[in-house]
Amino acid sequence: MSVIEIKNLVRSYGGGKGIFDISFKVNQGEAFGFLGPNGAGKTTTIRHLMGFLKPESGKCTIDGMDCWNERDKVQARLGYIPGEISFFDDMTGTEFLKFIRKYRKTGTQSRKEELLERFELDPKTKIKKMSKGTKQKLGIVAAFMHDPDILILDEPTSGLDPLMQSRFVNLVAEEKEHGKTVLMSSHIFEEVERTCDRIGIIQKGRMVTVDSATALYKRHVRSYTVTLGNEADAKAFAKDFDGICEGTKVTVTTKQSLEEIFMDYYGGGKND
Amino acid sequence: MISMALYKRGMEGSIKLLIIFGAILTMYISIIINMYDPGMMETLDGFMEAMPELMASVGMKASSANLLGFMVSYLYGFILLVFPMLFCILRGNALVAKYVDKGSMASLLAAPVKRRTIAFTQMNVLVSGIFLLVFYSTIIELICSGSSFPGELDITALLILNGGLLCLHLFIGGICFLSSCIFSDTRYSVAYGAGIPAFMYVLQMLANVGGNAEKAKYFTFFTLFNPDGIIAGESSAAAGIFMLFAGAVVLYILGIMVFERKDLHI
Repeated sequence: MSVIEIKNLVRSYGGGKGIFDISFKVNQGEAFGFLGPNGAGKTTTIRHLMGFLKPESGKCTIDGMDCWNERDKVQARLGYIPGEISFFDDMTGTEFLKFIRKYRKTGTQSRKEELLERFELDPKTKIKKMSKGTKQKLGIVAAFMHDPDILILDEPTSGLDPLMQSRFVNLVAEEKEHGKTVLMSSHIFEEVERTCDRIGIIQKGRMVTVDSATALYKRHVRSYTVTLGNEADAKAFAKDFDGICEGTKVTVTTKQSLEEIFMDYYGGGKND
Repeated sequence: MISMALYKRGMEGSIKLLIIFGAILTMYISIIINMYDPGMMETLDGFMEAMPELMASVGMKASSANLLGFMVSYLYGFILLVFPMLFCILRGNALVAKYVDKGSMASLLAAPVKRRTIAFTQMNVLVSGIFLLVFYSTIIELICSGSSFPGELDITALLILNGGLLCLHLFIGGICFLSSCIFSDTRYSVAYGAGIPAFMYVLQMLANVGGNAEKAKYFTFFTLFNPDGIIAGESSAAAGIFMLFAGAVVLYILGIMVFERKDLHI
């Protein structure tokens, strides 16, 4: 069953900017990776899902509810990390989390403490004085603490150090195991590779491809057949490079990393 | 319809301004009421004769017969118009447009709270602040006149007058709120939210000078608030107050509707 559904979504800003005919679905319990270069339209698409923007044409639904008309109902089950974090500068992190808890009317049942510990965050400082990474951690806690079923994460690891990035990837993997639905935009291929079941690539406002992560790899397997001087060399070569040896011929296969797959689409666009 | 958490935050943000403006108003009101002295009136009339245009432009007219008339001349032309107006401009802009401009509106929208509720709550914060300022001014006026000139003030007339003042400021607040809801950029929100009331006030000053410039009164909403007319019980003054109040309601409703429908790039 698809939880998040985008159908023929269009929003044009003129001059070729915007998003055009975006369609994809994210199923219950699935993690969807939304990849694309800066300015491709990831955040614009997410803003439509959040009900910040009204679609020019097309439709976005979450759980069958329209993201624009029924946005407050949609929001009840949602956790969101904005792409550009901007909280209330006049508050401390503690005050902000308390405000959000009261504002959302979430009860005392909160994952706040657990999350603060996991990300080693001390929220007592003024938000204004926090570093980018600390604000990002605060954003993660604010998005996860009410234990939402659906997570919309816009470049959630930006500003985090590698250790915290990997803790975040683990958190998302755990949430997925608990049946949560995740839409995560990113330009860090490793975290998408590690967490997402399916991947959509967006470029210049258009979906270039939507496929399962495994299918995407398979499509980009290349094989080479090398002929060597003698069988002993061939065997040694096959062993070193994990190839298949037939006499003096060795067939080796390479998988492109997601990064290379991505660069194929992205780079190809550049040469147009 | 109202988010208590957000209302509380809004009122906390208003407190500093309310205290500052409250202090300024206390100072001016007490000084001016204590200046009331039939003997002193001659000195002031002397100023009127020396520079009638300047005094008239800030709403000060010659010889007011009683204490209330004196207060109308010296408080309701400038001090009680400008300071609450500044409050409207500063808070009106901060309550909606600033959140959108800075992007922190995303935190408010990423929750199961209707946009209508957010805008209505912020409107209530603004209206509460205006109400507190006018209410506080009334109290100070009553205390100062009661202690210095017991029995001299027509209290009913003062309460009606301040009801009119409240409507005027609700209207000004409505302009600031609507512009805050329309514009996502604080530059424009301030330009319209502050520019329109300030320009109207300048027109009012021009109209007060009299002569040819008096025609300016047809182009400013300040004309609708006519303290002398209210005290005299003129029906045109009552109609003016009603128009200000109705206008205020329309402006707030428009603001909420605009905010509900607009695209937010946050």
